[in-house]
Amino acid sequence: MTIKLSQLCKTYNQETDFPVHAVQDVNLIIEQGEFVAVMGPSGSGKTTLLNLIGGIDTPSSGSVYIDDCDICQLSEKALIAFRRDHIGFIFQDYSLLPVLTALENVEFVMQLQGHSDAECKRRALALLEQVGLSEQKDKTPSKMSGGQQQRVAVARALAPSPRFVMADEPTANLDAKSTSELLDIMQSLNEREGTTFIFSTHDPRVIKRAKRVIVFEDGKLKQDSRVEQPRVKESKESLVE
Amino acid sequence: MLIKLAWRNLWRNKLRTSIILGAMVFGLTGVIAMMGFMTGFVDSMISNAIRWQTSHIQIHEQKYVTNSDISDQIPNGQTLAESIRALDDVTAVSARFIAQGMIASARSNRGVQINGIDLVNEAKITPLSSHITQGEWLDNTGRNPILVSEKMAERLKLRIGSKVVLTFTDVEGEVAGAAYRVRGMFATPSTSFDEGKVFVRKSDLQHTASMHGVHEIAILVSDVDKISLVEEEIKALLDFASNSSQLSIRDWQRIQPMLATMMSTMDVSNQVILVIFVVAMMFGIINIMLMSVFERTQEFGVLMAVGMQKHKIFSLIMFETTLLGVTGASLGIFVSIALVTLMNSVGISLASMSEGFGAYGVDTLLRPRVSAREYSMIFTTVFVASVLAAIYPARQILKQRPVEAMAEKS
Repeated sequence: MTIKLSQLCKTYNQETDFPVHAVQDVNLIIEQGEFVAVMGPSGSGKTTLLNLIGGIDTPSSGSVYIDDCDICQLSEKALIAFRRDHIGFIFQDYSLLPVLTALENVEFVMQLQGHSDAECKRRALALLEQVGLSEQKDKTPSKMSGGQQQRVAVARALAPSPRFVMADEPTANLDAKSTSELLDIMQSLNEREGTTFIFSTHDPRVIKRAKRVIVFEDGKLKQDSRVEQPRVKESKESLVE
Repeated sequence: MLIKLAWRNLWRNKLRTSIILGAMVFGLTGVIAMMGFMTGFVDSMISNAIRWQTSHIQIHEQKYVTNSDISDQIPNGQTLAESIRALDDVTAVSARFIAQGMIASARSNRGVQINGIDLVNEAKITPLSSHITQGEWLDNTGRNPILVSEKMAERLKLRIGSKVVLTFTDVEGEVAGAAYRVRGMFATPSTSFDEGKVFVRKSDLQHTASMHGVHEIAILVSDVDKISLVEEEIKALLDFASNSSQLSIRDWQRIQPMLATMMSTMDVSNQVILVIFVVAMMFGIINIMLMSVFERTQEFGVLMAVGMQKHKIFSLIMFETTLLGVTGASLGIFVSIALVTLMNSVGISLASMSEGFGAYGVDTLLRPRVSAREYSMIFTTVFVASVLAAIYPARQILKQRPVEAMAEKS
């Protein structure tokens, strides 16, 4: 599944005297299986870009093609179904449903897809096992640490078997140890299952792990660099430091 | 999953949910108790009217209904009464000789309806014989015994054994009269009954009037639902006797149309009270749900982002509101059933207002009653109101786009 951005623009307050150009004229292709970091200072348009790629915001002009399908032309209903079936989301503040347990949070997205309860449970347990939280499956988010919550969010994002995962500053609220663990999980999934990860960040620990780094500034794509060899993981000790 | 999620969402803020549920339970209990009180009030009026005055069906000569003239008797009334008594669904029949006249004591006099009654059959039709407060029920001994009410005895300064004179216009237009002696005194729930009626033996009154026959046949049936059936059977009897056109056969609702109107008016007034409460409750629910939904705007944005269709988000909010309404209605009705059952079995004493209620023919011990139909109507109304109350908050959220909703700070 290839993502292609063509002449993508997003302008806020377009009708006013002070329009804000969050994303300007971006052309980009992201291939299946990439592990992409979008970096840049605050307000540079990273989150807006991810929102546009993820179909939760609409561009002012330009197109977002996913395998030749312009998702900007989809009806609202079709776009929601597209997001549900093809895109996983990880948010900075985890955004888990506080009244559901870890297991139920992961099951929930699959239930939206219409899978049977047994199938949802089986896959949710497997995903929680993968992120190392099978012991915490019956805890609600309020009883888990930030790192644990974000790992549940990763499991939730992967639950519908998406082709790519959008992560908006996934490590912003995590300590060094949790960040390392989360990146290990994401990298492992990327390498084993070929899931595309696109994450916005200005955390150098995350950028070091990326295979491709896209730099954004004032809504414009300033740099797009690929790393030939996978980065060597930093030791836990150095991360803690 | 949606229902489970809705139920848990409902209890996120336990205090807020408990407060609105408490308000619903308190309000519903009040409304239902009020409805029960009003129903009990009208029940008492109707029951007393049937027991004391109208019975289920009455038969009169046509002209007697508009002008109670002593000459307008029911042709072959006594025979007709016997034939009616033989009908399957008839439990009691009493044929009365009635005269409009005056009762005079040594101290005062008053206008009254003088009822000449059949002692055995009258005791089956009205509870008069069990409401003798002083003296005793009439029997076949002694000359011209009479029953008067406590109220009348007080006004005419009578006591047991006192002599009174009854006078009325006879069939010739002459004044007829005789002396009677007070055998007993009664007290009923109806002031007008107590102030307006005296009872003597039918044979004594017929003798005083130098007439035979009867003016009124009162009938009780085994079941109120069979009143129409018995009416038809009586009409068939009368057709057979070829005197149907001369007679008026009326059920209690036609004899006392005001009571029938009150009964239907009470239904309407109960519904008005319920609607007022439910509308107020709806605004409360809308307020609570708006607060609950708006503080979760970001969460709804996330749900939309991860692929929850808008109709499912709409359903989620509808479920939350409906569960709130159903829980409140169930608890409210449960508490109300307990309260109304208790009040019905114990009764509410209104002795301090007996004078006022007596004018309406209402007992001083009121027994509130709410029917199963009314409970189901209340539950349905609250349920529908809850569903309606959910629409506005749900629509407010659905107007949002995921990215805008997610940008909202909770």
